[in-house]
Amino acid sequence: MRIAKFGLLLALIVGLAFLGCAQQEQPKATPTPTPAATPEEKIPDKILIGGTLSLTGKYSKEGQMSLWGIQAAIKWVNDVHGGVNVGGKKVKLEFKYYDDESKKEAVQSLVERLITSDNAMFLLAPYSSGLTLAGAPIADKHKVLYMSHGGASDRIFEQGYAYVVQTLSPASEYMAPFLDMVKAVDPSAKKVAMVYEDSEFSKAVFAGARKHAEELGFEIVLEKTYPKNPTDLTPLLSEVKAASPDIIIGGGHFADGQLLASQMADLKLDAKAISILVAPALPKFYEALGTKAEGICAPGQWEVGVTYGPEAAKKSGIDYFGPSQDEFLNLFHEFAGKDTMPSYHAAEAAAAILAYAKAIEEANSLDTDKIRNTMNDLRFMTFFGEWKIDPATGKQIGHKMVIFQWQGGEKKIIWPPSAANAEPYYPIPTWDEKAAGKLAKK
Amino acid sequence: MSFFDKYASLIPVLLIYVVLFAIGILVPGMWQPVAFIMFYITLGQAFNIFLGLTGYVDFGYVAFLALGAYGMAIAVESLGGANLGFGIILIGLVLAIVMASILSLAVGAVALRLRGAYFAIATIGVNEGFRYFVEGARIWGGSEGIIISGAMRNIFGRETANFISTFVSDILVFIIAILAAIVTVLIMNRKMGYALMAVREDEDAAKVMGINVTKYKVMAFIASASFAGLIGASAWTLKMTYVFPSDVFLITYTVEAIVIVMLGGAGTLMGPVVGGLIYGILKYYLSITLPGFQLIILAPLLVVIVIAFPEGVVGALKRKARGNARKYLR
Repeated sequence: MRIAKFGLLLALIVGLAFLGCAQQEQPKATPTPTPAATPEEKIPDKILIGGTLSLTGKYSKEGQMSLWGIQAAIKWVNDVHGGVNVGGKKVKLEFKYYDDESKKEAVQSLVERLITSDNAMFLLAPYSSGLTLAGAPIADKHKVLYMSHGGASDRIFEQGYAYVVQTLSPASEYMAPFLDMVKAVDPSAKKVAMVYEDSEFSKAVFAGARKHAEELGFEIVLEKTYPKNPTDLTPLLSEVKAASPDIIIGGGHFADGQLLASQMADLKLDAKAISILVAPALPKFYEALGTKAEGICAPGQWEVGVTYGPEAAKKSGIDYFGPSQDEFLNLFHEFAGKDTMPSYHAAEAAAAILAYAKAIEEANSLDTDKIRNTMNDLRFMTFFGEWKIDPATGKQIGHKMVIFQWQGGEKKIIWPPSAANAEPYYPIPTWDEKAAGKLAKK
Repeated sequence: MSFFDKYASLIPVLLIYVVLFAIGILVPGMWQPVAFIMFYITLGQAFNIFLGLTGYVDFGYVAFLALGAYGMAIAVESLGGANLGFGIILIGLVLAIVMASILSLAVGAVALRLRGAYFAIATIGVNEGFRYFVEGARIWGGSEGIIISGAMRNIFGRETANFISTFVSDILVFIIAILAAIVTVLIMNRKMGYALMAVREDEDAAKVMGINVTKYKVMAFIASASFAGLIGASAWTLKMTYVFPSDVFLITYTVEAIVIVMLGGAGTLMGPVVGGLIYGILKYYLSITLPGFQLIILAPLLVVIVIAFPEGVVGALKRKARGNARKYLR
C-alpha cells in the first residue's frame, strides 16, 4: 500500500515534469514576426490568431458557439478566399485557443502564452466584459491587437487601451435602433417608460437608451430599476401604467424579462410598442407566453435571416467581405453538426476573424500599428453587418443591432431596413385583443 | 526545541518560492503561469491559517478577498487625483486589510460561537449577503462594480500601469505568500498555536482546561481574513484592473481554497504550498493541452489524490518522515 502511494506520487511528479518540459521545449526558433516598417516586410507562411475561449464554466455555451463561428470563418478565409492577401502572398490563417473556464485567473497567463510561446500575432478577447478587461493589460503590454467579440460594455473602451477594438455593438447601442424604428414609424409617439434590471449590463444598455431617446426628442416619463431575480413586478408596473407611456422598454435577463411581459398582461398595461432585453429573442419566450408574446420586440446582435449581403453592401456603398449567410451556415454546420443553428455569438466571433483578415489585406502589412491605423478608416460589411470603429477608442460604431418582433408565432427581423425580413407591426395589439386571439400579423 | 528547529519548516517553503520565482524570471513566457500558480498557493496559505489550525470550514471566505479587492479599487479610484504615485497602492493595501479584518471581526464574533456544520452554514450566508448588500445598497459602484484600468493609466502612465498589472501585482502575491508562511509558523510556535491545536482536537476539553477558545479562534480568523484581503487587492484588483461584484463574491474560490488545503494537508505549513502547486499546475497545463476537457481529467485526479492521501500529501509524508526530516515538515 505504501509503495502504491509513493508510486502514485512519483507518477504524478514525472507526469508534471513532462508537461513542464513540453512547455519549455516549444519552438522558439521562429521569432515573433515583428514586421519592419520597410516595404520589404517579411511575410510568414501563416498568420496565427490566438484567443482564450470559455469552453467550460458559466459562459460555456457562448464559448462553444464562438469556437464554431471562428472555425467556420477561418475555413472560409483559407479555402474559399484562398488565404489572406498580404505582400503579394496568399497567407493562411490559423487559430490557437485555450479554455479560460469563464474565470479571470487564467486569462492573463493564457493570453501571454499565446503571445510569447505560440507567437500569436493577433488576439481575440475572451467572452464577457470582465474577462476582456482582465486580458487587456497583457495585450497592451505586448502591443498586440485585441479584438473583443463578446465584451459589450462601453466602459472597456473608456480606459484608454489603444489596441483593443470591438466587433459587436456596445451595450449602449442595444435599444437605439428600436427607438429609431418607433421614431420612423410614428413620429407622434413621445412618452417612454424604462423598467430594467439593476445589473452592470442593463444599466449600460439603458443609460445609452436614455441618451438616444432624449436626442430623438422622446420624453422619459418613468425610469425604474428592479433587483436581480425579481418575483413580483406589479408595484413597479402599476407606476408605469399610471404614467401611461406610448412605448415601454426594459428587461435584463431571461426570467425577469418573461415576468415583465406576463405581468404587463395581467395588469393590461398597454403600449404602442414594447421592447424587452434578451428574453423575447429566445424561442422559449413564445413557448411560455403564447400569443401574449405577439408584437413584443427585442434587440439582438444578429440572427439567421438578416439580409446583410453583397447587395445590401452595394446599397450602402461599402465593400462586402466574407461568406454570404448561406455559405456561413454551411461552413458552420460542418463544425457544429447539422442540427445546431448558430447564435449571434458564433456570428460575432466569425466577424472578428473576418475583420482581421480584411484589415490585414487593406493595410497590406502584418504590422500591428499599421493595421490599427488602417482600421480607423476601414468600413465594410460581413454577413454579421457593418464594421466600423471609433478611431479614438476602438469602440464599434458601424454595426447596428437588429430588432426582432414576434409576428404570428414567428420571430421576424423588422429593423434596420437593410437587415429586415418583415415590416414592423405598429402599434401592437392590446392585451385584450391578444387574449381574443389577435396576432401581430398583417 | 532550538530556534533552528522551530523555524526549519520555513526553509522548504521559501525554497519552493525561490524556485518558482526563478522559473518565472528566467524562462521566457513563464511569469504569468507562475503568477497563476502562486495565486492558488497563496490562497491556500491564507486559508490554512484558519481552516488548518482550527479545523473550522469557512464557506464565506471569498468575501474577504472581495472586500480586499474593493479596498484597493476604492483607493485607486478616489485618490487618483491626489498625486500619490505608488503611495496609492500602499493605501489600497492598508484599506484592504482594514476592510477585510473589520468584516472578519464582525462575522467571527458571532459565527465562531457556533461549531462544525453550523459554523459552515452561517458563513455561507456572509458571502451572498454581502454581495446583495453591495448591489442593493448601490455602494462602491453597485452592480456595475469599479473599473480602474483608466484611472491606473492616468496615475502611472501606460507603461507603468501595465507593469503594475503584469508584474508588481504578482510580486505582491509572492510577498503575501512569504508573510503568510511566517505568520503560520509564528502562530504554531506560540501559545496560540498550541491552544488552536487543542481546539482542533477537542474543543470542549480545551475549554475545560481554561483556554479562551473564542479569543484564539477569532485571532486566527482575523489573521487569515487579512491575508485574504491582501490577495484580493493585489491578485484581483491590481492585476485584473476591475472589480465586478458577480466576479469577486464567487463561492468557487472558497471551494478551491478548501481543495488546495485538503489536498496538501490541513494544518501543515507545507500543505497549502504542495496543494497549490498540484492544483495550479494541473489546472494550467490541462487547460492548455486539453482545452475544454481539463475539468473532466482534473476532477478524478483530485479524487484519486485525496483517496490516496486522506491527510493530504504533506500529512502523509509527515507521518512517514523520520528524525531530522520531520522538523522540515510541519
